[in-house]
Amino acid sequence: MASMACDTIREQLGALIDGELSAGERAALESHLRLCPDCAVEHDALTKLAAGLAECAPVTVPETLWPAIESALDARRSVRTGWFARRHAWRPVQRFWAVAASVLFVVGLGIVATSLLSSTTQSQAATIDYNELLSSITIDPAGAFRSFVKRYQGTEIAAADAARLAPELDFAIPSALPNGFERRAVYRVRFGSSPGIAAEYVRGANEYLVTIFHPPVHREDYGTHKDYPCVVGEHRGHAVEVGGWRLVHLTDPTTCHCVLSQLDPQTELPAVLSAVAPHSPSGGEHGH
Amino acid sequence: MTERELLEQCRAGDPQARHELYTATSDRVYRLLLRMTGNADDAFDLAQETYLKAFAAVDRFDGRATLKTWLYRIAVNEALQFLRSARHEVARQRDQAVGDRLDDATDVVAVRLDMGAALAALSPDDRAILLLRYQEDLDYRAIADAIGCPAGTVASRLNRARERLRGKLAPAYETREESGEVRHPK
Repeated sequence: MASMACDTIREQLGALIDGELSAGERAALESHLRLCPDCAVEHDALTKLAAGLAECAPVTVPETLWPAIESALDARRSVRTGWFARRHAWRPVQRFWAVAASVLFVVGLGIVATSLLSSTTQSQAATIDYNELLSSITIDPAGAFRSFVKRYQGTEIAAADAARLAPELDFAIPSALPNGFERRAVYRVRFGSSPGIAAEYVRGANEYLVTIFHPPVHREDYGTHKDYPCVVGEHRGHAVEVGGWRLVHLTDPTTCHCVLSQLDPQTELPAVLSAVAPHSPSGGEHGH
Repeated sequence: MTERELLEQCRAGDPQARHELYTATSDRVYRLLLRMTGNADDAFDLAQETYLKAFAAVDRFDGRATLKTWLYRIAVNEALQFLRSARHEVARQRDQAVGDRLDDATDVVAVRLDMGAALAALSPDDRAILLLRYQEDLDYRAIADAIGCPAGTVASRLNRARERLRGKLAPAYETREESGEVRHPK
């Protein structure tokens, strides 16, 4: 039998080591290796490489991974309401009559159905939807914030009343933040049955910053925006970035503190976080 | 529970079935993502996203690949997307700088890397295929399913990835040929 060219042999050595050759192919290669010391050396080197690649330190899956997945599944499930989310595999004629009946039903009940659904959705709103705020923040920051406030039944209040109206929360909304931001307005909002507080700050003509405080039991939906652990100064939390905007949230046992701004996380943001979350532990874990 | 039964239960949204699927596969998925990213926080986030996407897409799983391979595919896609994203640019530039330094080195022995660092210095695609073969022990067909390439190209892709890895490794992995001791017969 003629020996195969060494170049061809070498191309198949990996597959030989990986156990991917047929019995015939394997026999031919092994026969060549017995006769060719150079290819045998190459085979040994690849075997050693494979063994080195297979060695790895044991990895332990974090215990918090499944709870995080479960929480995210729960949050997504709560965003989709009731029976509207179910897909019905009806035949076309059934679908036609179903649609016709649905139209009559909706026309007949109209305003009542809408108001019932609205109040049900709000009272059951366990998830805070930041997606709408984040999606518009680069276009119209103030408008995006006001829409967010309106969605969560926000009413403008005096700063001095904030603590009284949200007694379970631990936060600060100073009239001025470090680095020159001045408070413009404070709102009491409602996340389900829980009160929250939101405040807007401005610096100069058009620099904008928002703070939002809510109980940590409420989950946060960021839509397609990705949420990453972050360290800002001495604060550990999570952050979502959209364009040049960053929503940082720190969570302590009673309050989730959220700051949405374009501030540099290395230079200006740490002082702002310390100002609005004065009792937040520097090593606090994200509560969701 | 068989794999088919498990899938049916997951499609029905059974929380216990989902947890069972997670328990059966999370070691592999997390390990792969940790080796791909080199960062526990990134691996955690990507693993979470992998399972969320898997549970959302379980209706579309057609059973042509195994459940394990299907999950690997989702995880590999998540990792590759993340590693190619702008957020990972700093790490990529760091890896490229390491690679450039190695390519330019006149004293090859002095700048060889150990296995972990050498893997980290490879492209995400090379790293993925080597990890799937040698740490996750997938055969070539399963690798093809996991990375979405023709089965016939896996062998050559692995050959190229191995060679690039060897180019970055310590002298212990070089052949006598590389060290200049060997000549092939004419």
